[in-house]
Amino acid sequence: MKLKPVRVLMAVAILLTGTSAADAHVVAARLGDFYMGASHPLTDLQDVVLWIATGVLAGTLGASKGRWLIPVFPIGLLVGLSLAPVFGTVSTQLADATMMLAIGMLLAAAAQVPTLVLCAIAFAVAVIRGAANGAELGPETDRLLFAAGLACVGYGVVTLTMALTVVFKRTSDSVTSWRAIAVRALGGWIGAIGLMMASLVLAS
Amino acid sequence: MGVLEFREVRPGAFVGRWSIEPSIGASRVDLRMPPHCFLRLPEMNCGEKGLVGPITISNLGSNMSVVLIKVIPIEGEPRSYTISTANPVVSVLGTGAPTLEAWVELAKTYVNYGIDHILLGADHLLFVLGLIWIVGGGWRLVKTITAFTIGHSASLAAAAFGLIGVPERPLNACIALSIAFIGVEIVKQQRGETGLTARYPWIVAFTFGLVHGIGFAGALAGLGLERRLLPAALLFFNVGVEIGQLAFVLLVLALIWAHRRLDAVVPRWGEAVPAYLIGSVSMFWFFGRLARVFAAI
Repeated sequence: MKLKPVRVLMAVAILLTGTSAADAHVVAARLGDFYMGASHPLTDLQDVVLWIATGVLAGTLGASKGRWLIPVFPIGLLVGLSLAPVFGTVSTQLADATMMLAIGMLLAAAAQVPTLVLCAIAFAVAVIRGAANGAELGPETDRLLFAAGLACVGYGVVTLTMALTVVFKRTSDSVTSWRAIAVRALGGWIGAIGLMMASLVLAS
Repeated sequence: MGVLEFREVRPGAFVGRWSIEPSIGASRVDLRMPPHCFLRLPEMNCGEKGLVGPITISNLGSNMSVVLIKVIPIEGEPRSYTISTANPVVSVLGTGAPTLEAWVELAKTYVNYGIDHILLGADHLLFVLGLIWIVGGGWRLVKTITAFTIGHSASLAAAAFGLIGVPERPLNACIALSIAFIGVEIVKQQRGETGLTARYPWIVAFTFGLVHGIGFAGALAGLGLERRLLPAALLFFNVGVEIGQLAFVLLVLALIWAHRRLDAVVPRWGEAVPAYLIGSVSMFWFFGRLARVFAAI
């Protein structure tokens, strides 16, 4: 059977809109709340797609701009987590979709984003996802340990994604090199997923 | 932790009792015996087949992580089985030779237990992080981590077989002190001095590996493993510890590589911060653990 790209994108978008509370409680029972915080976002497709998209965007802009995200992203996650009780159980799906669309379009257009704007985008993504992760916590969870785990995994994922992207797409590459085109194509896919996800959220 | 004993009173019929009641209360433990066994504590009847098959506790969690099941048959030696959150199912081997399925169950239980133990052992991980910090990457690191592994494997085996015995509380204080030593060595290195760890990293790693290994043995002690299973359980537990340690080392190396690629290095004024952080945390642990030593006297 031949997989059509549009079908794949639709499937991912439906999966993303359909995700509910990530089930990392098995990890909590086994290894405690630090590891629950570290594993919780990795079991949620919205976190995985948005975090990697942010890391790829920062990586394509080069190490000098990207490295600011090493402190900015985990701090954003902690801010989001601390704001979670204010937001309550408000769905972040539309905000996630908007950020996905925006980052995807920036990647597809190979836009040269200033460092301050990059940091603002990464901070916004981190705050939204930090709040989403925090909203699912029960009263029995040690929030301090969970926050430490979440910040550590956020730092790790974004740092590694940026470094891998820097290695893959060297700044010396021309815009017509296959590596640059591959990153732009990935951006197009991320943008398309964001657009479909936003449509599904607004239609429901 | 809870301990449940089953004493065989006639072939296939057992009397069970909690010799150590679990913290959540005995009535709340969701214990499931092999399908052919009929359990209504204190009685259990397994018929002609005897007590052979899977035992499950599905509601282990942060309030209770381990339950030890002791089976005392009419003939033969008593046997013990550990059910943990990592592996809530154990297969009872019976008195005959263990089957392949039983070995797989044992491996799953103790490999998972080893991984859990190292991942939850912040002191062990901090020591390994300090070693990586001093040694850097390459073959020197491979040799150092191998020496640490040989050291803790040797003392873990010796302690588990009862060849050596060190009281747990002073040992834990020594483990904290070993991390403080590494912190001092990092500071020395940053000042341009050549410390003992920088000169002979594998000797330091091996020596402190011996200390940490006795600490690992503490995790196996008290589980009441039957003698015939001890070598295999020890091997699988050690494999689990190595898997967890290797994953941690690879993660740290990947992050160091990423930081170099991004030119994101610690500024000159902050170079000493990690060493002092490691030293401060370890001394905090040391004094806390020392206080427990004196409190026990």
